Amino acid sequence: MIKKNSLSFRIISHVLAITVFLFVVIISFNYYYSRTTIKESATENAIFLANNTVAKIEQILQPMEKIPAMVAALMEVQPIDRDSLFRIVKAIVENNETIYGAAIAFEPGFFPEKGRYFAPYAYRDGDQVETMSLGGQHYEYFFMDWYQIPKMLNRPYWTEPYFDEGGGNQLMATFSVPFYQIINGERTFAGIATVDLDLDWLTDIVSEVKIFESGYAFMLSGNGMAVTHPDRTMIMNKSVYSNAEEWNAPILREIGRDLREGISRFREYQLPGRANSWIYYRNLDSNLWAIAVVFPDKEMFAELHRMGTIIISLFILGLILLTMSTAGIVNRLASPLAHFADSARTIANGHFDQKLPEIKTKDEMKELHDAFSHMQDELARYVVNLKETTAAKEKIESELRIAREIQMAMIPHSFPPFPDLPQIDLYAILRSAKEVGGDLYDFFMIDKRFYFAIGDVSGKGVPASLFMAVTRTLLRSIADKESSAKGIMEGLNKSLASNNESNMFVTFFLGIIDLRTGIMQYANAGHNPPVIIKPDGQVRMFDKAKAIPLGLFEDFDFPELSLQLNEGDKIFAYTDGVNEAENQQEELFGDDRMLHIIQQNRDKHPKELILHLEEAVLSFVNDHTQSDDITMMTILYNGKT
Amino acid sequence: MRPYKTVMLSILLLLMVAMTYAQVNKLVFSPHWLPQAQFAGYYVAQDQGFYEEAGLDVEIIHPSVTVNALEHLKSGTADIISLFLVTALTARSEGLELVNIAQFSQHSAIMMVSMKSSGIETLQDFDGKKIGIWMSGFEEVPKALINEYQLEVEWVPILSSVNLFLMGGLDIMTVMYYNEYNVLYLSGIERDELNTFFLSDYGYDIPEDGLYVLPETLKEREDDLGKFVQATQKGWEYAATNKEYTIDLVVNLMRQQHVSSNKAHQAWMLDIVLEMQNIGEKPIKETQLFIADFEKAVSVLKERGIIKGACSYEMFFNPVMPDIQK
Repeated sequence: MIKKNSLSFRIISHVLAITVFLFVVIISFNYYYSRTTIKESATENAIFLANNTVAKIEQILQPMEKIPAMVAALMEVQPIDRDSLFRIVKAIVENNETIYGAAIAFEPGFFPEKGRYFAPYAYRDGDQVETMSLGGQHYEYFFMDWYQIPKMLNRPYWTEPYFDEGGGNQLMATFSVPFYQIINGERTFAGIATVDLDLDWLTDIVSEVKIFESGYAFMLSGNGMAVTHPDRTMIMNKSVYSNAEEWNAPILREIGRDLREGISRFREYQLPGRANSWIYYRNLDSNLWAIAVVFPDKEMFAELHRMGTIIISLFILGLILLTMSTAGIVNRLASPLAHFADSARTIANGHFDQKLPEIKTKDEMKELHDAFSHMQDELARYVVNLKETTAAKEKIESELRIAREIQMAMIPHSFPPFPDLPQIDLYAILRSAKEVGGDLYDFFMIDKRFYFAIGDVSGKGVPASLFMAVTRTLLRSIADKESSAKGIMEGLNKSLASNNESNMFVTFFLGIIDLRTGIMQYANAGHNPPVIIKPDGQVRMFDKAKAIPLGLFEDFDFPELSLQLNEGDKIFAYTDGVNEAENQQEELFGDDRMLHIIQQNRDKHPKELILHLEEAVLSFVNDHTQSDDITMMTILYNGKT
Repeated sequence: MRPYKTVMLSILLLLMVAMTYAQVNKLVFSPHWLPQAQFAGYYVAQDQGFYEEAGLDVEIIHPSVTVNALEHLKSGTADIISLFLVTALTARSEGLELVNIAQFSQHSAIMMVSMKSSGIETLQDFDGKKIGIWMSGFEEVPKALINEYQLEVEWVPILSSVNLFLMGGLDIMTVMYYNEYNVLYLSGIERDELNTFFLSDYGYDIPEDGLYVLPETLKEREDDLGKFVQATQKGWEYAATNKEYTIDLVVNLMRQQHVSSNKAHQAWMLDIVLEMQNIGEKPIKETQLFIADFEKAVSVLKERGIIKGACSYEMFFNPVMPDIQK
């Protein structure tokens, strides 16, 4: 539909390239920016969830911690009513639903009458709260973590989570507070007050945490053991450290070490063979237990990628629409151009009235239409003008052709002109630069006297040719009346000078050879001096003329000279079209070159001499336009006979 | 009435014969602790049918909080038990005439550890320090070592966890190389954060796990016991070459018994327990109790005042494997 070199194709491809570039830039920026924002918000979300979970857990732990602390304080008040202790622990359990059990455990043999063990304990058994005294051969509680560690450390202690002995899968942890009594004036360790926390409470809180599709939270004990986890087989079996070994994932060990040191972090991590994930972890406030929130990387950006897919799909759709609509618009806008091209071709073929495509808009296309229309009108007018001018020119040319014929007919051009006169042989040519020229030559016989003349009218073209015709006509008519060269010249000059409104003039050489004596009378009105060629090889120019050209001053006195011709003498007369012929380098043919050629051809017949010279001039001029008329005439005097 | 009586008597007789026949081949074994890779050889022999192949019907039971392995043996709920050598010698001096029929462990895995940060680097640094020690009957060996060096220490009895040590409540902790030493590692303590003191490096390389029966059992069922030891040895060999299977087996068993378990720890334990069975340069065969080890154990216990006297090596060690001489 769209050709590869068409305007539409180029506009569309440029528009598309720019659009795609802008889109890529905008989308890249948007993606990067969104990614950063999403990551920040996911980080915040994960941290918030973890903190929120920690806060919820602390809401359970912290009030619980107060209870054994209060019991411990109570135990320092003496004397202790031993039997009421059972009621105290029972009341504690009954009034706190998160408390699974409570104990007040005394040092071995603290009450001698009670034996080695005395530890009132209350615990839940279904809906009931039962009481008993802990301790026995198989329950040496003095060496259990919940008793021994706070005793040794002299401070409250949260145990590592543990499964209730024989209680099935009841996951618990115990908070223990040591208490003291003044014995023999010394504050002495007396026992431990505890509460047991049913960890199901925490499990419920932690398992409520959801982030993205499959993100979750889990809790770790101080030793890195999984206390809650979506994968139940992890619970109380696997720790971050054991999984670090089993999965060959040292990062898990790093996480455990961080938590042991109370460091919280948000970080990216990848377990071998699993998806890249993010984790935020922190300790609880009460103890070294920790909450971690985990979610897969790809879920964090899933929404972004979904949006990206939609945007790219929409963009591709938009690109197709843009391409189609641009193609439509450009085609509609540019279609007159094709019509204009057709119109232009038709107009070029001469159909100036070709109908132009119709343009309804007022845009550049309208301007083009108007310009075309104007061009059409101008062309039509021009062509009419041209036709008229051409017709006129043709007419002039035809007239000039006729004028030339007439002009040429005026000068003699049949050679040899006087076959019955052996004394004289001659040859002459006249090559006009234009249709008609201002050069002339003539010769004729009157009473055994041979008249010859050569002239060059100032200017060129029709005026010069008319002036030349006048000169030639006057020469003949005056020569009928006057016999001397001087008389003829002065007569000519007088006639030409009078009524010479256009101030034209003519250089003119006139020679009269008396065939009976061989004496040649001649007069020169400003013309190039002819050349005399002697049979012995002597070639020389006549002296330069001392008279002005004809037609300038009416009463000029033209001197007459004479020369005795001998047998074999040749007279070579010419106009300045010969010696002043110019080539392309604007060099003149020159007198020397002319004389040299004459010298070389001095023995030749007049016709051959002239043809040689003409050839030399033409080859010198080469293709350069002939600027002046070329006229040459050679007269051979054969003696008196 | 008469024919009826005869039939009844015959059935009764048949039942008694059947029961007797069954009793001959049935053996109950109790290791001295809850299931873990320390006893992998027994579980593998059971699972792979090595006992069955030997014509034995072996049942494995475990001690509980209230009933330990010795009590199983005393009460007859177990025919064979595993025990530490020193525990067995102590029990014998207390009047329980048990005999060793096979000694699988050949080395001591007992060691003591201190945090490097505590600055305790030599035994001499133990002076005046608190040392955690289990009340499991083998505390006498570490105590003998400390006594030999004439150090004044505070012994803190520990029931089962390393938490007191982790919480900084102890300067030194007695641990088993195959167990608690790795528990510390799997609780986030780097191995290079600990200074270690292997008792075997101080002349107390006293072997540990061995198999014990009452003299009557030995007398009556020596053949079955021989088959048991042989099949168990086969189980250990299989475990050594099929560790992944063995660890899975042990972990599954632990799960069934609700014992906290993970593969990382059991893998470590299996490796070390197998290492402990290596006889090394001792001039004995596998499952044999080296007389010098026996004498060292007796002298430690005597010195500690735990036992007054002891039976002879010959009385105590009664190999049931056909190729082992006393």
